[in-house]
Amino acid sequence: MKKRILVACGAGIATSTVVNEKITTLLKENGIEADIRQIKIQEAKGLEKEADLLISTTILPTTFEIPTIIATAYISGIGMDKLDQKILDALK
Amino acid sequence: MIDITRKLYIGLQLNLGLSREEESLVGLQDFLNNDLVFIHTSARTSEEVFKQVAAKAMSMDMITDAFLEKVTEREKNFPTGIETERFGVAIPHTNPEYVKKQFIAVVTSQEGVPFSRMDDTNAQIKAKAIFVLGLNEPHTQLESLQAIMAVLQNDDKIQQILDSTDVEQVIQSILA
Repeated sequence: MKKRILVACGAGIATSTVVNEKITTLLKENGIEADIRQIKIQEAKGLEKEADLLISTTILPTTFEIPTIIATAYISGIGMDKLDQKILDALK
Repeated sequence: MIDITRKLYIGLQLNLGLSREEESLVGLQDFLNNDLVFIHTSARTSEEVFKQVAAKAMSMDMITDAFLEKVTEREKNFPTGIETERFGVAIPHTNPEYVKKQFIAVVTSQEGVPFSRMDDTNAQIKAKAIFVLGLNEPHTQLESLQAIMAVLQNDDKIQQILDSTDVEQVIQSILA
């Protein structure tokens, strides 16, 4: 079954756009099919029932029932490989 | 006639063989502006940085009245401070509706302006290079955003930006 991923940041526009692209490429390179939805972090709680993973560049406003990963490494450039692996592991 | 010339021109551009990074850096050029580069700012807080940029951008009719308030508010709720290998940087921005004409303002600070971290609001970094993103079409600006990320992840480039003594040098450092 296709995984459903939420990619979020504060305004849902700048950093999430970059991360969305990173993840799309990562998944393609690893042959993983998924639906990626780019959102504002405030929308995440309301959408968690329709998603399998939440990836955010900003801190989380609350706890979630689905796994969450902070992806700021894609922005700072530090620890990106580790982050790639974390995301791949979460999608196994 | 004009139509054919345009098509030829576009065709040439596509065949110039620019690397992806070079292409997006060229795109950045459209958003950088001598008037929106501030070297060695005297600003000591993020709010002062925003005031400095907003005042100029307002005089150039590039933002709405609400921009300053909104970018400040957003920074409080969703901070944009980032710690790279050697430097603290920040990428403050707000929603598209407050930007009339797109820009990326660059502010450098010798001591570093405190910004809270994007991934940990309780932690602060000292941002020596601040890129205020005045974008209003972010979904179509993937390449520009990627270009800015590439700049801030490049410590040598940031060093060059910080060492610049005039605004043109800053812009050249970014686009080099």
